[in-house]
Amino acid sequence: MIPVAIIGTGQTDHTRKRDDVSQPELVREAVVRAIEDAGIAGNDIEAVVISNMELFEGRAYPELWVGEGALAVGRPCLKVATGGTSGTSACIAGFHQVASGMFDLLLVAGFEKHSEGHTQTGMALTDPFWDRSVASGALGNFALSISQYMAEREVTEKHSAMVAVKARRNAARNPHAHLRMPDITVEEVLASKMLAHPVRLLDMCPQSDGACAIVMASQEKARQLCGRPAWVKAAATRHEQPYIGDIDRRLVTMRTLRDAARQVYRQVGIREPLKELDVAEIYEPVTYAEMAWYEALGFCAEGEAGRLVEDHLTDMDGELPVNPSGGVLSTNPVGASGVIRVAEAALQIMGRGGDRQVEGAALALATGYGVYAWADALILGDSP
Amino acid sequence: MNPHHGSIQVAGIGETETVSADPRSIPEMVLEAVERALADGGVTHDRIDAVVTGSVDMFDGLTASNIAVTEVVGAVMKPETRIAADGLGALIHGACQLAAGAYGRVLIVAHGKPSMADYQCLTQWALDPIHTQPLGVDFLTCAALQARVLALADPDCEGRWAAIAAQRRTAAGDAGLLPPCTVEEVSNSPPAASPIREEMCAPLADGACAVVLSSSVLSNSEDGAAHPGVFITGLGHDLESHALGERNLAQWEGLKRACGRAYAQAGLGNPARAFAFAEPSCLFPHEEQLFVEAAGLSEGTAISPNGGLFAGAVPVAAGLSRLVAAVRRMRERPGEARALVHGAWGPAGQGQAVAILESGREREAS
Repeated sequence: MIPVAIIGTGQTDHTRKRDDVSQPELVREAVVRAIEDAGIAGNDIEAVVISNMELFEGRAYPELWVGEGALAVGRPCLKVATGGTSGTSACIAGFHQVASGMFDLLLVAGFEKHSEGHTQTGMALTDPFWDRSVASGALGNFALSISQYMAEREVTEKHSAMVAVKARRNAARNPHAHLRMPDITVEEVLASKMLAHPVRLLDMCPQSDGACAIVMASQEKARQLCGRPAWVKAAATRHEQPYIGDIDRRLVTMRTLRDAARQVYRQVGIREPLKELDVAEIYEPVTYAEMAWYEALGFCAEGEAGRLVEDHLTDMDGELPVNPSGGVLSTNPVGASGVIRVAEAALQIMGRGGDRQVEGAALALATGYGVYAWADALILGDSP
Repeated sequence: MNPHHGSIQVAGIGETETVSADPRSIPEMVLEAVERALADGGVTHDRIDAVVTGSVDMFDGLTASNIAVTEVVGAVMKPETRIAADGLGALIHGACQLAAGAYGRVLIVAHGKPSMADYQCLTQWALDPIHTQPLGVDFLTCAALQARVLALADPDCEGRWAAIAAQRRTAAGDAGLLPPCTVEEVSNSPPAASPIREEMCAPLADGACAVVLSSSVLSNSEDGAAHPGVFITGLGHDLESHALGERNLAQWEGLKRACGRAYAQAGLGNPARAFAFAEPSCLFPHEEQLFVEAAGLSEGTAISPNGGLFAGAVPVAAGLSRLVAAVRRMRERPGEARALVHGAWGPAGQGQAVAILESGREREAS
């Protein structure tokens, strides 16, 4: 396999509603920043992979209209769409396309403009025979799964609130983040509106308008163009069957993320991820999920995620900073969110993290979570 | 770009019968195509490393519409990539995964079920919602605008298109959804969107299609399958401008670029006589004219020898169905050793993809 690296990233300043730009213009903002960050010209790009969940904006083939904003006209372009993992899967798709030798410089661009659609309606379009009437949308699904998770793993509402505080305080150091709340407190989270027990308003991710792009390069180009590229050392995807009733204790087991993580750790030679990883950007659409992911990702033993939070081991100054960007809890343009995870992990390796930089980061994990517990995992590092 | 695709084999093919309205659910249709492809390749799901699916949410009325097929394509606890484009785009991505060495064997699956809804109405939602969609434009009217540009430059073309439509309908024979018809019947049929006439339109169909791709290391001879090998030796895809006014509608320039990339990979200098036949995804006769010109084919290249999409056109699966048709023909006719396969999507062929197939010639990756 030809080694592949990320040599540039760019993202918009994410917010609730960007009514000053169209969807192609929104994408264009992120793409121009990525191209400039990579120090290349737009014409150097040979192929494009786009990530977006089309029914959130009520579109078909959105890349056809938006492609021009992503430099796709006159170039090979494909769109990846797998719910929340769209962005990470698009990055893995770009990785494979460059690793194939087909392209030397490829752009991945993810976007979502939730303000132009109705996300919960889009999420309700699940299996029409079984799931649509009983378990559609993000919130109901999470409430069910989280109740099981809390019952089995001794995770409390306070633990959840501490995760929410960590995310929003981290986001305050990220100029692109949507929810930047430097003064947020545990009490404030616990007092926020109950949406569906046990999930409160500040436990959930926002809906953001935003785009993110990364430039991927073959080994030769990466060395030529970038002093400290972020190398893609391993990538794995696992999908799951869709029926909520058929996945017993989904958040508790999260076998897809567990299996994907084990594969990438094995490929890179990681035995103790909490100690060996320098930083992680994980896709946590709800606070409780972050703790479930800690267990699935092997950051702690089963049932110990609450302790990890209490001990502040995943804070910015902890043993393994998780989501210095503020994560999905602070910014969630769905089609872009996975690309943001990879871009933020790459920024850390490249030393371009600004106020959210983890000093000396050389090994980073990025994950995606989508639809019915689908999972992606990527390891980036400072060497191929 | 490097010609890395020389060692990718089409190890198994499967598809459902093309019908105007399949009474089964999407997963049931896809299951049949997948089982046929696996049986054809002599493999089981445990020997498939990864899956690439092709589907479009708006057409299926499902968010992340591959949720409908995750189980039946065997993607539970497996890597699945979902490409929202023509199935040939999904195949190109799967071939990249193999060429990268990420996997040894990949299953490609695409489906379409236009009988569930008003397909042309849904295509309006693919068009620029600020400038184009409010005009009520759909893929059919975009095709008609393109045909009009050609017709203005060549007044005789409509008769030629009628002849092509009649020829393809006849070639489809009993497998076609529509009965054979005469040139006069095509010419005298009412306009669908002028200058395209009703009998010039390939009939929409429900269907699913599946293909097993294998790297040379895991060629299907290991599995005891008796088919002569058919290999992918070149791939290309491209996106044109979305706005019709920004394009030269008299040409498929995106296809020309896609073909250029594929020909370079396959080491083809002159495509004019390189192919025994071509399987284009042409929904109307004028698109066949655009295809032949953009691909640089000569009159000696047979086009859609079994009627192509005029037997039945399954949206999203069409390009992959052309590949299945081409592989089947190459197996039956060893003398026809090289074929060009084509997929297209979007208004007036905005998205384009091609694959070059060669039989019995395993090329080493360079």
